[in-house]
Amino acid sequence: MKRTITLLLVLALLVPLAACGGESTDTGRLVVWHDKEDAVIEALSAYLTQAVPEVEVVFEKKTSLTDSLKLVGNDPSSAPDMFIFAHDKVGVFAEMGILADVRPLLDEGVLDGWLPMTLEAATYKGTLYQLPLYFETLLFMYNKRYMQDEQVPATTEELYAYMEQNTGRGRYGFVEQHSTAYYSAAWIHGFGGSIVSEDGVPFPEPEAVKDALRYHLKFVALMPGETEYSTVNTLFLEGKADATIGGPWMVPSAREVGIELSIAPMPVVDETGEALAPYSGVQGVQVLRFAAEDKAEAVKAVLSALCAPQIGIDLALASGCAPANAACYDDAQVADDELVQAMRSTAEIAVPMPNIPEMDVMWTVVSNLLTDVNLSGADVDAAFDEALSEAEGLIANMK
Amino acid sequence: MEDRLKRQRRGWLVSYLWSAPSLALIALIVVFPILYTFFISLTNMNVYHWFDYTVIGLDNYVRALFVFDSGFLSALINTVLWTVVNMAIQLVLAFVLASLLNIRKLRLRKLYKTLLMFPWAMPGYVSILLWKTGMFNSEFGLLNQWMEALGLEARRWLSTDVSAFICCTVVNIWLALPFMLMIMDGAMQSIDRSYYESAVLDGANWLQRSWSITIPCIRPIIAPAVIITVFTTFKQFDVIYLLTQQMGAKTGSGLHTILTYAYENAFITNNYGYSSAISIIIFLLLLAFSARWQPGGEGEK
Repeated sequence: MKRTITLLLVLALLVPLAACGGESTDTGRLVVWHDKEDAVIEALSAYLTQAVPEVEVVFEKKTSLTDSLKLVGNDPSSAPDMFIFAHDKVGVFAEMGILADVRPLLDEGVLDGWLPMTLEAATYKGTLYQLPLYFETLLFMYNKRYMQDEQVPATTEELYAYMEQNTGRGRYGFVEQHSTAYYSAAWIHGFGGSIVSEDGVPFPEPEAVKDALRYHLKFVALMPGETEYSTVNTLFLEGKADATIGGPWMVPSAREVGIELSIAPMPVVDETGEALAPYSGVQGVQVLRFAAEDKAEAVKAVLSALCAPQIGIDLALASGCAPANAACYDDAQVADDELVQAMRSTAEIAVPMPNIPEMDVMWTVVSNLLTDVNLSGADVDAAFDEALSEAEGLIANMK
Repeated sequence: MEDRLKRQRRGWLVSYLWSAPSLALIALIVVFPILYTFFISLTNMNVYHWFDYTVIGLDNYVRALFVFDSGFLSALINTVLWTVVNMAIQLVLAFVLASLLNIRKLRLRKLYKTLLMFPWAMPGYVSILLWKTGMFNSEFGLLNQWMEALGLEARRWLSTDVSAFICCTVVNIWLALPFMLMIMDGAMQSIDRSYYESAVLDGANWLQRSWSITIPCIRPIIAPAVIITVFTTFKQFDVIYLLTQQMGAKTGSGLHTILTYAYENAFITNNYGYSSAISIIIFLLLLAFSARWQPGGEGEK
C-alpha cells in the first residue's frame, strides 16, 4: 500500500514536468499577452470578434509581461504571437531580436493619419516595432471646489504663488510625485533638458537639468515629503490638495468620489517660455518575429482591422484612452470628451518616453538624483555629477 | 559474507531509490539554479546578446569586482550590523514571549499563540506595504497621528539612515518573530518539568532557572532555527527595498544591504552575465559567513 502511494506521488511529481512540453501551432489562432485594464481588453475583444471572425484572438493577462517575454520570447511554443504594451520597452525587445517590423504587415499609407508623436515613440533605430493604438500623458488636474477657473495657473510662477497662498494646516495648493523620474521629466523638458539622448547619452544638456532641479526645489518645499503614488492620489481624492499632475488613470476614481474635476493645459515655465512637457506612453501591438513569419495572414488581418478608426473610438469611449489614429477625433462623442481632447492637445508638446534599452537604468539614476536633491538636501551640482557617473557606469555595464 | 555484502548494497540502493524523488527535486530547484547561474556568469548574456550569447570566461568577474567598492563595503557593514541587531532582538524577545507562554495555568494560551503567529500568515509583501502606508507614512501614518495628538511635530520616519534602520528592524522583527517564537515554544515544552520542580525546591529564581535549565535544554533544538534565520536576515531584501527604495517611492534614506546595493548597481542593467557573476560572489560570501558563524557543532557542550 505504502509503495503504491509512493509510486503515485512520484508519478504526480513527474506529470507537471512532462506537461511543460510543446503546443501545436494553429495558424488561425493568435495569442495576445497584455497588462491592460479589463475595459480596454473587452472593447478590443468585442471589436475583433466582429471585424475578423476568421481569426481566433485569445487575450491573456500577464502581470510581469516583460520578464516573461525575456524568458520565452524566442520560443514559439510558449511565447505569445503578439503583445500589447507601452512603447518604452520596444528597444529592449528589438535588441533581443524577438520583434517583427510591423510596417510590411500593414497596408501601405494606412499610418498617414496617425499622430506623429505616437509613430515616433514606436520607432527604434528607424524601424517601426509597434502599431500604436492609444496613448497616455500626464495632465494638470484641479478640483473646482477649491481652485476657481480664473485661478488656474498659466505659468509656473502663478502656480507657485497659488501654492504659497493655499498650503498649510494639512492642505496643499498643489501636489505631484516630485521625486519620481516619470513626473519630474516634465520639469526637465520645460527647461529644455532631457534624461537621455536618442543614442544613449545620459543628460545631454546638463545645465538645463540642473536649472530645472534648482528651480523645482521651492515647489518641493510646499509639498509633503513623501510623495509616492498613493500619498499624492489620496491627498487629491480626499480634497486635501487643490491641484495635481496625474495620469488619466486617476480620472475614474476622482469622479467616483465626487471630485469636481477639471483639466487645464500644463503651466509654462516663466524663465524659458516652454510648457512643462510630460512623458507620453504609447500603448500598442507588438508582433513577435516568428508569428510574423508563421502566421502572416492572421497577423495582417488583425492589424488591418486595428487600423480602422472604429476601434480607437471604442477604446476612447470605453476607457477614456486617447487614440493614436487622428481620424478618431472626428467622432462627435470623442470630440465631446474633455479628458480625451486634453490628452490630444498635450500630445503636441508631450515627449515620448525614450524607448532605448539605456532608459531602463536611467529611471533608477534619475530617481536617486531627485531623492538626493529633494529629500536629502544634497547640493545640486555634486548630486548631478554623482548621478552622471552612476549613469555612465550602469550604461557601460549593460554591454 | 558475500551475501551480507550484497544485502547491504541492496539496502543502500533501495534507500537511494526511495529518496530519489526528493533528491531530484532538490537538484532541480536548489543545485541546478546555482550551477546555471555560474554558467551564465561565464557568458555575455545581456540585452544585446540575449539568445545568441557566448562563453567569455572570467571577464564578468573582473568587472564585478568594481562593484565591490566603498559603497559595497559600507553596505556589507550595514548587513552585518543588521543581522546582528535583528538576531539579538529576535532571540531575546522570542525567549521572553515563549517563557510567558509557558507559564503554568496561563489562560487563553491558544488565543495568544494564534495572535502571535498572525504576522507569519500574511504575505510579507502585503505586511511591509501596510507598515509603510499605515504606520510610517508622513501624511496618513498612525505614528504621525499619534505625534500630532501628543502635540509634537510630524516627521518623516524613513528619511534618514538611522531612523530607516530602526523602522526596518521593527518591521523585520514583526515578520520574523513568529518563526523563532514557535521553535522556542516547542523546545520549552519538551523540557522535563521535574528539572524545574527540583530547582524550585533548591530555591532557584526565574533567572537562575532560565540560565541553568531552559537555555541549555533548548539550545540544541533552536540552533538550526538560528542558522536559518541568520541566513534569511543576512539576505533580506524585501523589507529594506519596499520600505525605503521602491521605484517611485524612495524616501531619502541611503540605507543599503549588499543585496539592495547589488540590485541597484548591477541587476537593473539587464546584463545577466554580469549580474550572475555578482550573485555568485555574494553566494560565496554567504557561504564563508555561514561557515564562520556555525554555532557549536553537535559535539560541543
